[in-house]
Amino acid sequence: MRILPRTLALVVALAAAPALAAEHPGNDVIREKGYQGPQTCEECHPGTAKAFLGTVHWKHASRVTNVDNLDPRQEYGMKNRIYTFCNGNDVVNDLKEIPQNALGKTKLTGCNSCHPGNHLAGVGSSGAEAEAAIDCLVCHSAKYDYSKRKPYKTPDGKVAIGQDRSVEAALAVGKPTVKACMTCHETAGGGTLIKRGFAFDAEHDAHAAKGMTCADCHKAKDHKIPTGFDPNNWANDGVRVACADCHGAKPHKDADYDAHTAKIACQTCHIPTSGGAVAKDFTKWSKDAATGFWEPSTIKREPAGTKPVYAWFNGTVRNEPHLIGPKGSRSDPKSKITPFKIYEGRAYYDRRTGKLLSMDFAQPTASGDTLAGVASAAKTLGLEKVDPVPGWQTIYFANSHLVTKQKALSCDRCHTANGQLDFEALGYSKGEIARRKLKSAELWFDRLHEKEQKKEEF
Amino acid sequence: MKKILSALTLAVVFTLATANPAQAEEKMLGTVTKIDLAGASATATLKDTKSGTLVDLLVDDTVTLDKFKDKRIGVGDEIKAKYEKKDGKNHSTFFKKAGGC
Repeated sequence: MRILPRTLALVVALAAAPALAAEHPGNDVIREKGYQGPQTCEECHPGTAKAFLGTVHWKHASRVTNVDNLDPRQEYGMKNRIYTFCNGNDVVNDLKEIPQNALGKTKLTGCNSCHPGNHLAGVGSSGAEAEAAIDCLVCHSAKYDYSKRKPYKTPDGKVAIGQDRSVEAALAVGKPTVKACMTCHETAGGGTLIKRGFAFDAEHDAHAAKGMTCADCHKAKDHKIPTGFDPNNWANDGVRVACADCHGAKPHKDADYDAHTAKIACQTCHIPTSGGAVAKDFTKWSKDAATGFWEPSTIKREPAGTKPVYAWFNGTVRNEPHLIGPKGSRSDPKSKITPFKIYEGRAYYDRRTGKLLSMDFAQPTASGDTLAGVASAAKTLGLEKVDPVPGWQTIYFANSHLVTKQKALSCDRCHTANGQLDFEALGYSKGEIARRKLKSAELWFDRLHEKEQKKEEF
Repeated sequence: MKKILSALTLAVVFTLATANPAQAEEKMLGTVTKIDLAGASATATLKDTKSGTLVDLLVDDTVTLDKFKDKRIGVGDEIKAKYEKKDGKNHSTFFKKAGGC
């Protein structure tokens, strides 16, 4: 009978252990001295603020070595890219007060609203002022009060972004939660689940269902966040993440499945769906009758609402005015068949140079006048004359989330007539398809039947 | 023939009179004036931008409740909302900031 209280005490202690372990060692200092932003963090993490200014999260850009037609001496990213998913960028569509719309309403908006600073020290800024402006808690606090993180005008007319620097928020620091990441990353590109269209929750993702967070895979060191290769996502901290980092080269209990991994990316079978915006038109904006503001005309799908397209990809990228897409081929040993979300965007091109033009959203948001937005962006970039004509650009987005185990593609989904993969488009001849029975149940029926029978055995 | 027409007319009138019409979804743009969190739901009061009237909306979807809790949505935010009237309450079916690019 004496054992029971001890057992109960042990159970309570074990249950409390994670909470106790989560207590940030610096909390005593914060309780004693309060929280003054990065200078408080620096007491125990010296040099971190300065180092953070060199990361993609602060610069919104980096050197890019895997994309065609870029200047290797320049940095590229949300800061300055011109493409048809966003069409604006931090430079031409800087956070500011936009002109009044027909209802007399205005607002403070711009591409860099998510930048983890205060906007007064902006994207890519450096020095002591920039270090002091870092909003450490927006990523690291589980009790961040987002009502404080809003743009406002300072007494001298500048536009700044507020921060929650309360002791309560500072005492809740830790590894970024899924919400901390998704608050910005889920709303990129003009609204919730527009850009990448994946919901990182138990319903949509096998990793989320296991309670994993973004930072479990995108495990940062010195605030450098590893990312995968993506035709659309260029800026990177020089560190990469891949499924095989955790799962290895032979992740299945089935040799036939493992035989696929040399030429088929994991995502091909384990992410058979896609979602988010499939097309946008930046030349014709749509008016929201309720608010009186205009938005780029957008066609979007729910998470897992569409199917991806498949292409060979070796990690390098074609970058042309009308196409941003994967490079690779069947004969290239570094290439794998990889799924992509396909996206079509219409924007203005300069008739004389054929180059894509960017857009300041202030004018079109207020009045729908897209050409005024192009003219404003051209002025910011120092382009003396542009001759805008509408044109389309196709973009391939990496399809790297919405991971499933239960609904992964099985043999019958690809190796059949009109299956998920178009073997001919991927470089397989009709003769080879017939000879190897790539589109026939004969290839897999017996093995799959045996497996399914085992599942039903008592 | 008259009897048949009369019977048909009566049947149509009866059907229309007794049918339970589908609840129409109402839309509004309003500014949040108050949020009362209560367990697994919340009542958000919006001031209608056009009429200035206050409308109480019952919100019970976890995504929006989470935004109330960490104040990603709070007093002063402009909201586009849709709701259905049921059991004397306005049940929110769509509740998002009227944001954008």
